[in-house]
Formats: sequence, C-alpha cells, structure tokens
Amino acid sequence: MHTNEHTQKAETFIVPIGPQHPALREPGHFEFTIEGEIVTAASVRLGYAHRGIEKGTESRNWVQNLYMLERICGICSHIHATAYCLGVEQLAGVEAPPRAQAIREMVAELERTHSHLLWLGEAAHEAGFETLFMYAWRDRETVMDILEALTGNRVNYSANLLGGVKYDVTGEQASKIEQGLDYLEERTRHYLDVVTSDPVFIQRTRGIGVMTAVQADRLGVVGPTARASGVVRDVRVEAPYAAYTAFPITPVLAQAGDLEARFVVRLRELFESYGVIRRILANLPPGELVLKRMPRRIKAGEAISRVEAPRGELFYFIRSNGSDTPDRVKVRTPTLCNMASVLTLTVGRHLADVPMILVGIDPCFSCNDRGLVLKRGADHEHWTWDRLRQIGLDYYAGERGSGGVGGTSISPAPLPPCPPALLTGMHV
Amino acid sequence: MFGEIVKGLYTTLKHLFQPPVTVQYPEIKRPVRNRFKGRHELKRYENGLEKCIGCALCAAACPADAIFVEASENSDEKRFSPGERYASTYEINMMRCIFCGYCEDACPTQAIVLEKSYELSFYDRASAIYTKEMLIVDVPVNGRSTPQVVEPGIFNRAIPEMEDPK
Ligand code: SF4
Ligand code: SF4
Repeated sequence: MHTNEHTQKAETFIVPIGPQHPALREPGHFEFTIEGEIVTAASVRLGYAHRGIEKGTESRNWVQNLYMLERICGICSHIHATAYCLGVEQLAGVEAPPRAQAIREMVAELERTHSHLLWLGEAAHEAGFETLFMYAWRDRETVMDILEALTGNRVNYSANLLGGVKYDVTGEQASKIEQGLDYLEERTRHYLDVVTSDPVFIQRTRGIGVMTAVQADRLGVVGPTARASGVVRDVRVEAPYAAYTAFPITPVLAQAGDLEARFVVRLRELFESYGVIRRILANLPPGELVLKRMPRRIKAGEAISRVEAPRGELFYFIRSNGSDTPDRVKVRTPTLCNMASVLTLTVGRHLADVPMILVGIDPCFSCNDRGLVLKRGADHEHWTWDRLRQIGLDYYAGERGSGGVGGTSISPAPLPPCPPALLTGMHV
Repeated sequence: MFGEIVKGLYTTLKHLFQPPVTVQYPEIKRPVRNRFKGRHELKRYENGLEKCIGCALCAAACPADAIFVEASENSDEKRFSPGERYASTYEINMMRCIFCGYCEDACPTQAIVLEKSYELSFYDRASAIYTKEMLIVDVPVNGRSTPQVVEPGIFNRAIPEMEDPK
C-alpha cells in the first residue's frame, strides 16, 4: 500500500478535459499534465465549433451579414453587430446620427450587464455556490426583459442597422429601464458584498490564478481579465467609438490580479454601466435614428474596427472590393486573447482550481473558433479555397456512396487522404 | 466562519418565503413584449385582400434563405391582392429562420410581420415549413375571402401609400 502510494506520486498523468465535458458548456479540449494533484503543464485545442462564418460573409450582402455576424455570440451579440456597422460605415465614409450612436452604446451597456450577471452565476456555479448562481440569473431576467422590451428579442437583438439603429427608446420604456436599473443596482451591491466577504467563497477565489500586470501585458489579455491585473486596457477609453466620447466611462481597475479581483472588477463595472445608461437616458440626443442614405455597395477599401465587448476587445477587419458583398471579414474575439492566460495560470495550481481559473476569463469557445490553418505532417501548406472545396465535395460524395443513403447505385468514390490530417493539423 | 455560514443560510431562508419567480410554462405563459419578433403572419387589408404581392423581396433579403415565394397573375375575376401579381406559394422554413426581422423591413407592402407566437416545435422536418395557409391571418369581419371578384380598375396599384412603422 505504502509503496503503491509512493509510485503514484512520482507518476505523471494527463487529464484530458473535453471536447464534451460536464464542466464545459461549449466544446474545447484541454490537456492537463498533473503530478499528484498539481498541474505541471497545460495545453488547449480549439476549433470544435468552427462554423465558417467568416467565409459565409463573402456570399451574403452587407446587410445580411449584419444579422449573421450578430449570431457569432449569443451573449455579446449586439457588440458584434456594432463593430461590424462601425467598420462598414467607416468604409462607406458615413457616420450614424448621434441618437443612434447613443442607443448603440446604451444597448451595449445593457448587454454588458446581462453578460456580467450571467458570468457571475456561472462562476458561482463552478465554485459550487449554487444559490448565488440562481439569484444572479434570476436578477439577470430584469435586464433580459428590458432588452426584450427595447428590441424585441432577449438575445440577438438586431438593434443595429447599417447607418443607424432600428429601435427608439420611448418615454415609458425609459422609466421601465430606470426601475430595472434601481433594482439591479441594489442587487449588485449585495453580490459585491457576498463575493468579497463570504469566507467559503473567498477560499475559492482569493490568491488563486494570480496574474501580475507584467504577465497580463506579456500574455496580451484583454478586457476585465486585464483590468483585474491593473492593466488599463479598455477600448471605450482608449479609442472611444459610438457615443463613448459624449457619454464616457471610467475604467474599473483592481491590482490583485487573482480571481477575486476579476469578480470585483466585473461587478464594479456593472455600476459604471448603470451610471452610463442613466446618463444616456437623461440626455438622449434628439434626431434621426438612421441615415437618409446608406449605400448598397460599399466603396473599395479596408477598415479596422475595435470595440469593447463584455469580455474585452473585439476586433473586426473588413475589406471591400466595391461590390455589394464584403471581400473579407476577419473577426478576433476576446476569448482567444485570454485563452493563453488559462494555460499559464493553471500551472502549479491544484486540478480543482482549473475550472475556476478557466471560468475567470469568461470563456466563450464558439466565438473564438474561426481561423483554420491546415498542415499535413511536417509540410506546412496553405490550401486554396478551390482545393478545399474539391476535397469537401469528394469527401461527401464518398460518404454518400459508402453510407448507402438513398440508394446503392452510387459507387463509392475514393476517399481523399486528407480528412484525418485535417483534424490533426487544426489550429485557430 | 460559523457566523458567516449562518448569515448565508439566513439569506436563503429569507428567499424561501418570497413568491417563486419560476413561470410554470406551459400552464402559465409569460406575455411577450410589444416589439417581440415571433412567428410571421401574412397580413390582409380590411377588405380581405392579401397585402402580399408576391414580389419575393423578403426572400431575397432573408439572410438565412428561409423564404420561398412563387408569384402568379391576378385578374379582376380572381383577385388575391392589389396589383398584377400575388403569392401563389409562400413558404417559410422555421428551422432556417433566425427571427431577425429583415423580411419585415424589406417588404414594400408591410405584408409580412413578425408576430407574438413563439411555440414552434415540430416532430419532423417537413412540418417546419409553414405554408401560406398557415401564415395568413383570418379574413377581417367586414372583408371577403380571397380570391375576390372585383370591379375592374380599382386595385391597380400594388403598393399602397406607406406610413411609418410603429
Ligand atoms: S425573420 Fe429573418 S430569417 Fe426569418 S424569414 Fe424573415 S428575414 Fe428570414
Ligand atoms: S411578403 Fe412582402 S416582400 Fe415578401 S413577397 Fe410578399 S409583398 Fe413581397
């Protein structure tokens, strides 16, 4: 027995987590090398929910893409649409009216509220604090209702249009929003008190996953994760977009860099959001909601648009060749920037802390699965679109033949040798 | 530590005596908001004529390619809608639709409107396709059902004077 324990200690295990795992809400694959209970190495493999959205944008027109890109993320959908709209408007050389910009900012802040409350619940659930999970999600319903009243949808609001917004805020809605914010403010104060004073919860958060400001800079983390390490990184402040010049926010910082700091930063950010929504409601600029003319074809050129999503900086690159569809849309979501920090921070920690550290960056897997570089063996090779397409066609032709769907008359085409290689070489 | 646990349990206990927030769906249905984007409806004019003129602009606009429209000719003896044409086939695949409301924006006659119904579940894929019969609203009280026999020369204009959407 004794010797057995001894050998086990010296042994190194690899614990695979995912792609399908009860602790993960979305598919991602992690491998943690552990010695005893301590993680000594970590690696991640992404790309399980790659949806080909970027390629899809090239076969839809500018307006249709607005709706599709909004669906990249179910939680921070509005901010995707905003980033895209701002980029396209920049390309077209137009600017949405001030009232539209203010409404964009307001919906974005409401979205941040719902995203942070959702995250609070999820993080509490990861820590085993089910009551906080339930309460946070119950209170999140308030902001979901506000969003539904404002835009008609609880998620994927479709509030944006190229050159403006679709929905105005009526006086009645404004007072409903104020009421909702009062309630949320009170509840957020309570949650802030809970996460900083409950000793059981603090044991799971204080001093865990500590990331120094230097590390945060080096890893290139963004959003609340960076701000919890004392790094001022907030697009709303650095490069104000929409109405953030007229209705500015103060970045919320914490110095500790541990999980507790991430809780504190996100919750204190909520007060910033409530404040700015109130200010917008009180001083909503009058005027039109949409531009009189938004061109259907966008002038040729390239645009970069950066916005602050609830999880951090969201980056859009848009290239137009002057037609009614984009030539290229590249999206980089904040989770991709923050993922590296998980791998660094888990090393040296207990395996039991891993889910908490992972949830600390507020990961959103499906959003960050996009780019795809294919390599086969050691020979790095970038394949052309036509070749990929041909492989796809051949592959499915072969599958139909051998699978016997519909009939036996189709002779199985020889399978191209690539699909297994495709999987092994997947990078995001 | 003990005191804190008691404090936490006290919070739970307090909530125990508050009314539950869970809505007992499907017995109780939560009302949707005014701007809610639910299942589409094809609207009619007060006289019963269909608003849809079969122009297929909604189908062209739809980002999800969910709509299929086929138009046929109207005549004054067999009139479905004002103007030259009407939608003889109108189908929306609810499994494709993402409820974005772009079809609503594209429609020149405000014929298609995303309404309040959200109970869309099916046993098979084929029943996810909503046909014109399922989408079109009932004939208004003072209207007549389509096709109608009308006086020639009244309903030549396909697109009515527009008003701002509410
Ligand atoms: S709501 Fe959007 S996805 Fe659905 S049919 Fe209309 S345009 Fe298409
Ligand atoms: S619903 Fe509107 S857009 Fe679609 S075919 Fe009918 S009239 Fe045209």
